[in-house]
Amino acid sequence: MDETPERVLVARCREGDEQAFRELVDRYKGLVFALVARTIQDAGRAEEVAQDVFVRVYRGLPSFRGDSRVSTWIYRITVNLLAAERRLPATEPLEGTGEVPRQFGSPDRAFDELTLRDRMEKALRRLPTNYQVLINGHYLKGMRYEDLAEALGLPIGTVKTHLHRAKRQLRHLLETEYR
Amino acid sequence: MRCEDLDDLIEAVVAGDPLPAEADAHVAACASCQARVDLARAMERLLLARETPDPPVHFTLQVMRRVSQERWRVEQFVDVGFNLALGAGVLVVLGGVAGLLWSLGWFSIDVAALTTATATVAPWTARLMSEAQTLVLAALLLSSALALWWWMEGGGEPSL
Repeated sequence: MDETPERVLVARCREGDEQAFRELVDRYKGLVFALVARTIQDAGRAEEVAQDVFVRVYRGLPSFRGDSRVSTWIYRITVNLLAAERRLPATEPLEGTGEVPRQFGSPDRAFDELTLRDRMEKALRRLPTNYQVLINGHYLKGMRYEDLAEALGLPIGTVKTHLHRAKRQLRHLLETEYR
Repeated sequence: MRCEDLDDLIEAVVAGDPLPAEADAHVAACASCQARVDLARAMERLLLARETPDPPVHFTLQVMRRVSQERWRVEQFVDVGFNLALGAGVLVVLGGVAGLLWSLGWFSIDVAALTTATATVAPWTARLMSEAQTLVLAALLLSSALALWWWMEGGGEPSL
C-alpha cells in the first residue's frame, strides 16, 4: 500500500483527523523509540518519554508551518526532551561488572566483546546529550545525516565533525577504563 | 610518529582506509596503539550491530489515549472560557438594558426601600462574615471530597 505523503498527512492531522495522527505515530514511532530507548536506560521511562514526544507533536501541529520536514521536527522534539531528561542524575560508574579485563584482545574474545558492549553502553550514557544523540542516531537504520543535522540545528559538515569527536570521546572513555 | 598522532587517523582506519606507511609501522611496533586500533574496530563493530529497540505493542494506542486526554483537557478549558464569556456577556446585556430603562425613566431605584432591605440583611451578613473562614474551609473540603470521588469513579478518563 502506498504511504500517504507527509504533507497530506500533516494537513489531515491539523484538521483533527485521528486516523491520520495514528498513521503519523506509526510511521515515526520506530525511530523515535529506538533513539530514546538507546539514550535512556530505564525502559519504562524511555517509553514515557517517547510518548511525550508524540504528545508534543500533537500539541505543536497547529503551529507547525512545514518549513522543515515533519520527521526533522519530530527528531528535534526528541532531542529537546532527551536533553531535558539528561538533567536528571542518571550516570552509572563504568566499573560495575566485576572483573575488568586489563587489555582488549584476550583469548576469550566472546566474553571480551560482551564486556565491551556493556561498558560501551555505560560510556555512551556519560557522553553529552548531543554526542549521545549523534552516535545513537547515526547507527540507526533510516536516520540520515540531514535529519540529525536539522534536529540538532547544525550544518551537515559540523554533524560529521561532532560525530567524529563523539566517537573519539567514547573511545577515550573506554581506553582510560581499560588501562 | 607519536602515539597521540594516531587519534586523527583512527577513524579512517576503522572505516577501512589504509594507514600511511609511517603510522602503519608505528602501530605494528607499539602494543598500546595496536590495542587502541583493535578497540576502535571492536567499538565500530558493536555500534553497527547494536540492537534497535522496538516500541511496545500498545505504543500507538497509549499515545492516542494520551492525545485524547490532552484534547479533552483543552475542550474543558475552552468550555469553561466560553461559559465565563457567555455569563459576562449576559451580565453586560442585562446591565445595558437596566441602564437604558433607568435613563428612560421606566425604571427607578427606591433608595428608601433599598436602605431598609440593607438594614434587615445587615445582621445576617455580619454573622456570615464572622464565620466566612469556616464556611470557605468547609466548602473547600467538600469540593475536594467530591472531586476525589469523581476522579476515583473515572470521571476524568475520556473515552477514545
